[in-house]
Amino acid sequence: MVEKTPETDDDGSGDATRRGLLRAAAGATVAGAASTAGCLSVTTPADVAAEYAVTGNVAHFVGPSWPAEHRDDAVVLDARNAERFREERIYGARRVPFDAITSQRSTDDGAVPDADAVAAAFGSVGVAPDDDVLVYGASVGSRVTRTAFALAAIGHSGAIKALNGGLDGWNGRLGTGTRREVSTTDYEADPAPSAWVTREWLAERVGSFNDGGPGLVDVRVPEAYLAAAGSAALNDDHERHGHIPGAIDVHWVGNVSGRRMTEPGRLVQLYEGEAGLDRSETVVVYGDDNVDPTSTWLTLRAIGFEDVRVYDGGFSEWANADDRGRHPVETATNVVVETEGSVGGDDNSGDFSCTG
Amino acid sequence: MSRDGPIDGDAGDAPGRVVAVPCEGADVLALFALATGEPLGSVPVGSHPVHATTTADRTLVATMGERSVTAVDPGGEVTRVDTGVLGPSHFASANGDLYVSCSAGDALAVIDPVELTLTGRVGVGAEPHELAVGPDERRLYSGSRRDGVVDVVDTATRERLGTVDAGPEARVQGVALAPDGHRGYAVDQDGSRIVVFEPAGHGGEEPDAPATRVGHVRNAAAVGADPYDLVVTADRVFVPGRADGTVHEFSPDLTLEAVHEGFSRPVDLFKTNGRWWVLDAEAARLRSLDGAVVDTSAPGLVAAPVGGGRLLVSHYDDDRISLVDVADGTVWTADTPAYPFGAVVV
Repeated sequence: MVEKTPETDDDGSGDATRRGLLRAAAGATVAGAASTAGCLSVTTPADVAAEYAVTGNVAHFVGPSWPAEHRDDAVVLDARNAERFREERIYGARRVPFDAITSQRSTDDGAVPDADAVAAAFGSVGVAPDDDVLVYGASVGSRVTRTAFALAAIGHSGAIKALNGGLDGWNGRLGTGTRREVSTTDYEADPAPSAWVTREWLAERVGSFNDGGPGLVDVRVPEAYLAAAGSAALNDDHERHGHIPGAIDVHWVGNVSGRRMTEPGRLVQLYEGEAGLDRSETVVVYGDDNVDPTSTWLTLRAIGFEDVRVYDGGFSEWANADDRGRHPVETATNVVVETEGSVGGDDNSGDFSCTG
Repeated sequence: MSRDGPIDGDAGDAPGRVVAVPCEGADVLALFALATGEPLGSVPVGSHPVHATTTADRTLVATMGERSVTAVDPGGEVTRVDTGVLGPSHFASANGDLYVSCSAGDALAVIDPVELTLTGRVGVGAEPHELAVGPDERRLYSGSRRDGVVDVVDTATRERLGTVDAGPEARVQGVALAPDGHRGYAVDQDGSRIVVFEPAGHGGEEPDAPATRVGHVRNAAAVGADPYDLVVTADRVFVPGRADGTVHEFSPDLTLEAVHEGFSRPVDLFKTNGRWWVLDAEAARLRSLDGAVVDTSAPGLVAAPVGGGRLLVSHYDDDRISLVDVADGTVWTADTPAYPFGAVVV
């Protein structure tokens, strides 16, 4: 059993938060009295492990046992914002330079991930191309999945794992305070363009999505997809509203249930049964930006979809394209797959984007 | 739509002519002999066919439930032409191209009617509906139901030159040009209004202005409730008000000339045999503006003049079509597959 002890992981001068101390006290108690934990109304590491365990044939998402088994050989990345990171984190975790890993560069075909900038960002926190990486947040929201996608986009060869349950899914040692200095690496990107598509890739296939061509999923809230007049969900920066022709709408929040991924069987039903996607065919996901759709990107890969790609330019790029005839949007006659998900975690934890 | 005078001439019973009826509820194009109403068969054309047009010996059908239109050759061979955008609705021809409004999106598909290929798309206001083309075919006008504008398209370059704003919260349904092309009109369904605008290149003060000039709204007038379509001639503009049973009659500058009342749900007008006849979607009759009545077998939603004082009437809710002679009454009636819509004569 792993003892849960808050520690600073800088020079030892940081103070553990009250929440962390209380948790530590509970953990210390449980460490000596696991068999009576239920009577004491405390959560044991065993409870945590059970609650956030990932069972079945699911890729990428792991429960607390994975980091416990790989504590000495995996890089742990915290995808939350700086405030939450300072407050409490997995001991030894490094904070993801989040803005940098969403970097894009322009091409004639549209925006694509800036692989060099993304690689440099990971290198700045000491990640090497063959490191096994565990990324976590307050839950399993889109900041976590964007981090996973960014690694895949630069051809990361090590394992890429996301901690089910986020920080609550961790039952080991905690750190707090200022981040520890890490040695940077010279991360040379090996871009994986099969992880994304461009505006022109989509334009060439308009009319075929979900109708003999690739699957296409709009991950935004239905109001944005439907271009609901007067809705606050409509982005004022968009010259047009609606969705890419043929796209179906499955709001990405349906991938998350509190702090953990939605039950895999439900996800299979959602995407194969209700949305009608084919796991053996190419599926493209998009949102307003390049963060939220990565939730669906990782989720689909986790449940066995073989070729899932992100439209990194997103609807923001599509809606503001100069040649509207080549980049049309649809507003009427829509397909919305209802979802019931919710994203857990503290307010302002920075674990998910509200731009979707 | 523009109608310059009476539509008479060829007799409607010319041998060999075929009536092609898109049947929205059955996804087929139903065929009948124009002379007798004899059923000739039906051709599957895709989801929700609504309007059709004829070009290059073919019948092209707008299938609103598809991202394609369907071409039917005289021999019955069917070809799909992708539009890429859902909701093909209305056709218009200009400069040898066939334009179709994709009413579930924000584009017009441009089709080569000979090769049956998509040659491009033109971005326009969202949910385009009716289309109108100037007499010289250099400009096409597309009404947007969602954005409340009329887009002006250069048919040589297939580029949008600009838009005419029909007013705040407008929902543009009907669009038409005067037969001489010097005035444009748009019906605002939500505002129960009609506006007259200056078409590109036909400014009142600059009649010879460059063709790139995009017009502005000259005037607006109230019409009956829930207007949809309009009819424009050289000296009159008619707008049926579907919800209050009226037909507003204007002079070209939108000076109100008369309000004709007493209809149930007027939807369209046709001038034949010297009279303006009103098609009514809730009354089994044609009634002229001066009070003459021709009974029909059922209310009609859409009609097409076929010459000789006759109209081909689609009885949408009753699954039948009729050939109606405004002098002699119904010539024949035939049962159709579900929801017959905009028929054409091939």
